[in-house]
Amino acid sequence: MPDSIDAILSRYSRKLDELIPILQDVQREFGYIGPESVKKISRYLRISENQIYGVSSFYAQFRFTAPGRNSIKVCLGTACHVRGGATLLEMLERGLEITCGQTTPDGRFDLERVACLGCCALSPVVQINKDIYSRMTVNKLMELLKAYE
Amino acid sequence: MNKLKEKIVSAKKKWEEIENNREPLIFVGAASCGRAAGALELIHEIDAFITNHKIKARVIQVGCIGPCYLEPLVDIKLPGEPRVSYNNVNAKTLSVILKSHLLEGKPHAKLAIGHFGKDTYKDIPPFFELPMLKPQVRIVLRNCGLIDPQDMDHYLAVDGYQGFMNALAMTPEDVIATVRQAGLRGRGGAGFPTYRKWTVCRNAPGEQKYLICNADEGDPGAFMNRSLIESDTHAVLEGMLIAGYAIGASKGIVYIRAEYPLAIERLKHALQQMRENGLLGHNILGSDFSFDIKIKEGAGAFVCGEETALIGSIEGKRGMPRSRPPFPAIAGLFGCPTIINNVETLGTLPNILRNGAQWYTRYGKEGNRGTKTFSLVGKVRRPGLIEVQLGTTLKEIIFDIGGGVQKNFKAIQTGGPSGGCLSEEFLELPVDYESLASVGSIMGSGGLIVMDEDTCIVDVAKYFLDFTQKESCGKCVPCRVGTRHMVEILDRITHGEGVPEDLLALRTLGDTIKKGALCGLGQTAPNPVLTTLRYFRNEYIEHIKDHRCRATVCKDLIEYRVIKEKCTGCQSCVRVCPTGAISGPRSEPHNLDPSKCIKCRSCYEVCRYEAIAGDAIVIRSAEKKS
Amino acid sequence: MRKEKKVTITINNQQVEVKPGITILNAAREHGIFIPSLCTLENLPSYGACRLCVVEVDGLRGFPTSCTTPVEEGMVIRTDTAEIRTLRQEVLKLLLSEHPGSCLFCGEQNECKQFMGTIRKVGVTTGCRYCPNDARCELQEITEKVGLTETSYPVYYRGFPVEKYDPFYDRDYNLCLLCGRCVRVCNDIRLNGTLSFKQRGKLTTIGPAFDRTHLESGCEFCGACVSVCPTGALSAKVGKWCGKPDNQIETTCTYCATGCQVMLQIKNNEVVDALPDYHSSVDKGLICVKGRFAIPEYIHSVRRISTPQKLTPVGYEDISWDDALDIAAERLKEAKPDEVLIVVSSQLSNEDLFVAQHCARHSIGTENIISSVMSDLGERIAPFLNLAAHSHTFDAIESAQAILTIGFDSTYGYSPLGISIKKASRKGIPLVTLNHFESNLDLFADCAMTVNSSSWTTVLDALIDYVSTGTLNKPLPDRLKVEIAEAAKLFPKDAWNVIIVGPYAFSVPEGKHVLERILTLRNAHGWKVIVAHPYTNLNGMLALGVFPSLKPGDAISTGSNDTSERAAINLTLVDSAKPKKVVYLIGEVPDSFIPECDFLIYQNGIAAEWERKPDLILPSALFAETDGTVISAERRILHINKACDPYMDAKPDWWILGTIEDKMKKSKICYTDMATLEKDMKKSMKGSANGKKALSFKDIDVIGQLTQHTGRDKRFTESRYRGIPLRYVVSGMKVIEDRMETVCEEREGV
Repeated sequence: MPDSIDAILSRYSRKLDELIPILQDVQREFGYIGPESVKKISRYLRISENQIYGVSSFYAQFRFTAPGRNSIKVCLGTACHVRGGATLLEMLERGLEITCGQTTPDGRFDLERVACLGCCALSPVVQINKDIYSRMTVNKLMELLKAYE
Repeated sequence: MNKLKEKIVSAKKKWEEIENNREPLIFVGAASCGRAAGALELIHEIDAFITNHKIKARVIQVGCIGPCYLEPLVDIKLPGEPRVSYNNVNAKTLSVILKSHLLEGKPHAKLAIGHFGKDTYKDIPPFFELPMLKPQVRIVLRNCGLIDPQDMDHYLAVDGYQGFMNALAMTPEDVIATVRQAGLRGRGGAGFPTYRKWTVCRNAPGEQKYLICNADEGDPGAFMNRSLIESDTHAVLEGMLIAGYAIGASKGIVYIRAEYPLAIERLKHALQQMRENGLLGHNILGSDFSFDIKIKEGAGAFVCGEETALIGSIEGKRGMPRSRPPFPAIAGLFGCPTIINNVETLGTLPNILRNGAQWYTRYGKEGNRGTKTFSLVGKVRRPGLIEVQLGTTLKEIIFDIGGGVQKNFKAIQTGGPSGGCLSEEFLELPVDYESLASVGSIMGSGGLIVMDEDTCIVDVAKYFLDFTQKESCGKCVPCRVGTRHMVEILDRITHGEGVPEDLLALRTLGDTIKKGALCGLGQTAPNPVLTTLRYFRNEYIEHIKDHRCRATVCKDLIEYRVIKEKCTGCQSCVRVCPTGAISGPRSEPHNLDPSKCIKCRSCYEVCRYEAIAGDAIVIRSAEKKS
Repeated sequence: MRKEKKVTITINNQQVEVKPGITILNAAREHGIFIPSLCTLENLPSYGACRLCVVEVDGLRGFPTSCTTPVEEGMVIRTDTAEIRTLRQEVLKLLLSEHPGSCLFCGEQNECKQFMGTIRKVGVTTGCRYCPNDARCELQEITEKVGLTETSYPVYYRGFPVEKYDPFYDRDYNLCLLCGRCVRVCNDIRLNGTLSFKQRGKLTTIGPAFDRTHLESGCEFCGACVSVCPTGALSAKVGKWCGKPDNQIETTCTYCATGCQVMLQIKNNEVVDALPDYHSSVDKGLICVKGRFAIPEYIHSVRRISTPQKLTPVGYEDISWDDALDIAAERLKEAKPDEVLIVVSSQLSNEDLFVAQHCARHSIGTENIISSVMSDLGERIAPFLNLAAHSHTFDAIESAQAILTIGFDSTYGYSPLGISIKKASRKGIPLVTLNHFESNLDLFADCAMTVNSSSWTTVLDALIDYVSTGTLNKPLPDRLKVEIAEAAKLFPKDAWNVIIVGPYAFSVPEGKHVLERILTLRNAHGWKVIVAHPYTNLNGMLALGVFPSLKPGDAISTGSNDTSERAAINLTLVDSAKPKKVVYLIGEVPDSFIPECDFLIYQNGIAAEWERKPDLILPSALFAETDGTVISAERRILHINKACDPYMDAKPDWWILGTIEDKMKKSKICYTDMATLEKDMKKSMKGSANGKKALSFKDIDVIGQLTQHTGRDKRFTESRYRGIPLRYVVSGMKVIEDRMETVCEEREGV
């Protein structure tokens, strides 16, 4: 696995403005940004690990703990909100017994909120892994989860 | 230049073959909205159908034509006949349509919504005469839903890159003058005259200049930029070439939010095509103009839609806005003169440079020239992406185009979290920059959210402020701390713990934040609250004094009840209640225990949509007293 | 001096002329107009976050911040309208709602101050009286100046645990205003990068990555963040509760040869803190942990010797100065000259050193003056002295075209050098580091060579080879080949190449050979060499002739270009192994390089336990307690200024020595007053030390050497002052030096 980080880094030049694209690649590859990755990026871009952490923790996209096997993203854009998005999130938190930003103990699901997936006319919208589900209701949602291992 | 001209000739020929097709063509709207509605599965079905029936037909994936409520859209064009559009297609209706229209050559009028010819055809109305589309003036959206955005030939065939070629034949100063004459204002929200920023940048000292396309589109409820990039990618890129040429930039960057993977894919694809055809790189089309475009993805920060924060993000730093002066046009990315234009602004440019400034001034009105795209969503009958002339009234948009509201209209929210909620009395307001600002709202990027009586206005204000609070970068005190206090007050009000002093406190805080905040996010954050306080004051007072939420949304102010007389005892609700608050044996009216009820709507929905009774469960709030 | 064209602006209807391009805030301050601000600080890049300094400017929308807006010709500015005043008060109210400032508006606060002082140590700060920053807090000051008398918002106490696990300073982020000064100073001024903003919005915090400790995250404990913090969020552990100092005295830190200026903070005649001076031309305020935090605990250690003592069969007996010095004089008089050994510390002032050698030569009649410098370095002493005495001034780094560091790490020392190197590297100057562990500069290096010291001579030989011939001719071991080739190319021929030699270069077993090669690079190829070493006043020792056979002024160059000018130190004159009648330690400790003796005189500040108990103990005043001068590594003559009275009966070393000479009645001149001492000392230095030209030294020949072994394992990596390891009296030093040891061991390279 450590080799992968080196492979990612070799695609970029050693300038500060490459930091976010590098972090995005690392997150895509490993699912999160770990201390080992931060150390390697620090050596490569020649900035402190603390600076890297400071930048990456600013952005909602990056997580520092391993994700679940299935990623649930509940859209909480305005259109989804007025059509009950918040209730969907609440129900998921209750059903999975985790809060937003956490992963279930068995590693099956992790739950996140997103600001807007851009499918506002079909609100409320929930994304599980790469699948986008529109016009969601509480009942439909709980059924859907069963299909994901 | 010649290579491109040759390609244009062949592209037009290819397009000819679509207009006058000899084989059946099937168009499917497969941008994000279409896919979310199930378009990909339909394509799969269509492929299977034509293979099984050995039909020589071609499937063309197009972008989003606008009316999302009609998705998925499948269009069939038989040789010699107009293209017929079928709406809300599902697996069942698909097979009916394919059998009838494709196999038997008979368009299915009942399932069709419109066709792309001129007059009524076999009982099917012209698509663009439909009430949702008729009032629209589609300039920016002219190709969306009609061409395959991934096929560059389509774009070239409809005079794509002609605008850029015209620009190259002028001096950059003349290009700026054209844009000035056209009266184009930045479509990202502020409405600043585009030519002015460009002029400052053009005249600023410095060899290296940058043009950035702001595709961060963070406003919840807005998806115009996404749609445009997915459905007509080259239009935006052509706009970048024109802008880059005008300001003297040699590098362009598209800053696009990571939550738009399809749009990013389309951009990468289109950039590759541009390079292959000499539209990017050194000495483009044989001129002195060298330009290349890179894509940078946002990482989940709404504040990065703000210019200086966006620049910070590209530089690899935290996306914190910076004070101005210095202005980005003089010292922006890496300290170089930089122009940041919105996707739509850029998407408008090819049209202006192709048809001339004079032509553009025909639309809109003095000071507010041209058209604007809006995402009309919420409680309208016909939500979707629309484009109208500036100056169109809200009434026209909501009722003529949007088909009005099912229940009773309550409010229209413009400008996203930076805008305001306007009540009924403003329906005649023309949609232009100054008019909206005069009533405390803003145009914003174009999100229009319609609310009806089922929307609690205090909840909406809290929702927007909560959003802004979470997206606040935390640098300046008024925004970081001020919005937190406002959210806390609104939270208390929605929980029934509000006090009369809260309203004044909200106004004072709003005022302080508006004046004291460092960037646009903070300065406009109080707008939803301030406008709702002005125009919906009664609802606030009801929450505070009467503990009443008339829209029955605020959980602590509502109660779920079973109407015994209407309950048939079918137990549908008992099955879905997560806390066991509803109980009761079969065929007897059920009981609802308020202490266990978490107001999740499960029982309400199942009773309404699936159970026998349909209206046995109601949600009530306290009676109005004051 | 060319006069800059000024611009005319109008502030509050008053027309003034100011320098173009300065901020409105500075322009206002220059003309006595008060604009409150919290996140701004001189020397730091402006930030514009607190929003208190807002003003109105004609032509600019809204309320721009005066700290970020530069002035322009004809600008019209208003700083104090009613609307601005209200806005400031509202913003301040919001600020205070995130800060537990319960005493700010309490009617009882004055009475409380008088009677409830002990409540402070409760450990949780909920108001001013409980806060270490009380009475010197910028937030208190601003609240008063803005005229706020109440606040309307509920206070949000974030509930962070107070961070006390790191040495030297505590952090209570419940008091943090997120003004960002600490982040800016750590990243932009110190180029260290330990502190960063984390998360965003209301969840923003400040600190290192992943909730690590500062110790693990590369913090230098330079305390720059503590000095810039406007609230009590960051507070030094020592002097935390002392309140506002009575006054401050600027002096030179004597912990190493860099010569940084520190502003000692005095309260009740005690040094409670030491702050940097950003205007100092020596160090630009970039002092290290030792100067910043290790001074008060040393000066006021409980182990300070309070009175003269003599050893009796039943233990130590306190005696008067008169009696003590009588004993000393008698013992020294009755011994033959070669039966006496004087041992001085390189950390004494010029005045102390001058009188010490005067006493040795004129009253005792011996050349037996040694110091730990000589015994520490052993065979390395000749190349070391020749490199150190001619060390280039630090500004060589700013003009460097390429930099090489050998055995140098600036985490816990030599910060002005380290930061200058980092700055040059950021500007694009190639940097190569050579160490046997991963140094703090490796992150900035273009080529970081972490190799065992046994290979250093190979590396340097290859470098010399490349510099002389343009290629690598000699065969090289494979593992080093690529690295050396890469590094060598970075040093252009005939360019301004700079070497920084750190303590590890001369402490490793191969030290002599390493230093000799550095001499080659300097003498044969014109490379500039800067030596960073802990022997504070080494140049003072050279100037004042505190070496055997080197008399005062002998080593000072007359300024002529005569290259045959050389000075000589003859170590064969001293037999430091032979037992003596009297050994007189001045600012040194009885380590094993001291021979056996009948009578041991120990003159120092701190007492310690040794096998060989001193027969006579004389308490010295330490550098904060006397006046004097030292000559720094750059050959600057810097002043030591008295900041507080000597502890109990302690006296300055020069006075003790001068009085002994007086009692011995062997020398006509005895120095018991400063004026005569200064005059004679200046006269003796002659040559270029007279101030007209910069002080410089001749080349120095060393004949013979002292026995090398000093019995100290960590001579150079363990910081000492006057022989006493700092970790012995300053607790934080133990923590950071232990960490440094781990770093060195972990990466004992290839």
